[in-house]
Amino acid sequence: MTDNSVIRLHEVKRSFGEKQVLKGVSFEVNKGEIFGLLGPSGAGKTTIINILTGQLSCGGCAEIFGVSCGKIGREVYRRTGAVLDNCGLYERLTCADNLKLHARIHRVDFSRIQEALTQVGLEGCEGKKVKALSKGMKQRLALARAILHSPELLFLDEPTSGLDPATAAEIHLLMNSLRGSGTTIFLTTHNMDEAYRMCDRIALLSEGNIAECGEPAELCRKYCSNSELSIVTNDEQKLSLENTPENAEAIAALIRDSKLKSIHSSEPDLGTVFLRLTGKELDK
Amino acid sequence: MKTIAALLIKQCKDSLHNLPSLMILIIYPAVAFIMSTAMQGEEKMGDIFIPMFAAMHCSFAPLVISSNILSEEKEKGTLRSLVMAGVSRIQYLVSLFIFVLIAVMLTGSAFLLMKPVTSFYAEAFAAAMLLGSAVSAVIGMCIGLYSKNVTAANGIAVPVGLVFALLPMLGQFNSSLSKAAEFTYSGQLRTVFEGGGFTTQTWLVSVAYLAALSFLLVILFRRKRLE
Ligand SMILES: Nc1ncnc2c1ncn2[C@@H]1O[C@H](COP(=O)(O)OP(=O)(O)O)[C@@H](O)[C@H]1O
Ligand SMILES: [Mg+2]
Repeated sequence: MTDNSVIRLHEVKRSFGEKQVLKGVSFEVNKGEIFGLLGPSGAGKTTIINILTGQLSCGGCAEIFGVSCGKIGREVYRRTGAVLDNCGLYERLTCADNLKLHARIHRVDFSRIQEALTQVGLEGCEGKKVKALSKGMKQRLALARAILHSPELLFLDEPTSGLDPATAAEIHLLMNSLRGSGTTIFLTTHNMDEAYRMCDRIALLSEGNIAECGEPAELCRKYCSNSELSIVTNDEQKLSLENTPENAEAIAALIRDSKLKSIHSSEPDLGTVFLRLTGKELDK
Repeated sequence: MKTIAALLIKQCKDSLHNLPSLMILIIYPAVAFIMSTAMQGEEKMGDIFIPMFAAMHCSFAPLVISSNILSEEKEKGTLRSLVMAGVSRIQYLVSLFIFVLIAVMLTGSAFLLMKPVTSFYAEAFAAAMLLGSAVSAVIGMCIGLYSKNVTAANGIAVPVGLVFALLPMLGQFNSSLSKAAEFTYSGQLRTVFEGGGFTTQTWLVSVAYLAALSFLLVILFRRKRLE
């Protein structure tokens, strides 16, 4: 483990009954970066967060701040914050009461509540009951709660899924400002644009393995040559061919037989990288 | 200690906004009050109703409320968010136990205001109420630990609560039921509420329940780990 790494997974395995969800996942997250775990729904992203936060046992070695994930205690929890897929807010309490509970638990001053609400753009909502909030507002309140005690490491489990683009953009802004102040962020997402724009490094999770790990732009360069052509034929077959003289003949044949529905050169994006590596679409 | 205080404050606020659980807390004292005032003319009606409803109160209310709160926290993921904030599962259960005891004792003290009582009776009453609430709260926490969600928890807690609440009363009408009621903690405590005081059998039965159920709670706690 390098001094710089906050999270370290080595050959982590986990099964639910017969089904092996994680088959040996290894990666490290460095201090101060936004690390993205990208994978389709059901890939095991939430399972990895559950393991890292000590909620699930696993095979292999998982460490956070150098502490084995099976033995996480209060010291580690005080240094981390999390927004999970299920917000975990008290619906009958007001926003302020939800945050007060955590302020008391973390022994932070109540003045932080106002600051945190302002940071997530919920100023003026202190007295509102949580059950009266929209999904986006609940998500932001959960985020305010997660950053209340200024954690060094923040887990965000699909923080923008199901939110409107404006709210998602606000959350992205906040993530950038948190990184600016030195917070390490562990983000899971199935949205490749989000991963590409927000993350310093990403890991692609597929079939229980890390297919590739690195900087988003670098991965795109590595796996997407610009000469790639995506073709859809009239019978809805999808082909992707390299832009080479040998393939020109095949394309010409498609045009001759009026079988070509569309053809375009692929932009280098993580969806393509994912498709190349795993043969699977990322979305859905 | 501070964490437990924080959880208690949260729980008080939450329960005050939770109408069904408020109802469960006040229904038996309220019904006892209505019945005993309505039948004031008749001799000794208060003497029958108050012990009966006090026994029901300390067996049904803590049981259903603790299983309800615990299973709701599990279902809604709020317990998880507490654990991730560094609250230990034991701290959580202790705060739940304290909250339920306080709530049931406060509402249960209303029974003492319904008729003139000696301080000796009041002390025995309070001790029985506390003991009964403790046993019921432990049963409720076992059910809450065991169940995945609120619906499942209520499905077990309500019938179990009703058995312990109603058996002592039904025992008055049927001798075999009355024999069975003698072996329930609520049946034993009812005799204390009637003014019989604590007998050896009362202590034996109640403490046996408390010990056996606490043991069950520890087993469930280790197996289920509140997840
Ligand atoms: N507690 C559990 N019991 C059984 N199967 C589970 C459990 N948690 C997750 N799974 C299975 O693990 C797989 C990965 O789930 P999850 O980590 O939630 O995926 P993601 O967050 O990437 O969408 C899914 O197929 C899911 O069915
Ligand atoms: Mg998930």
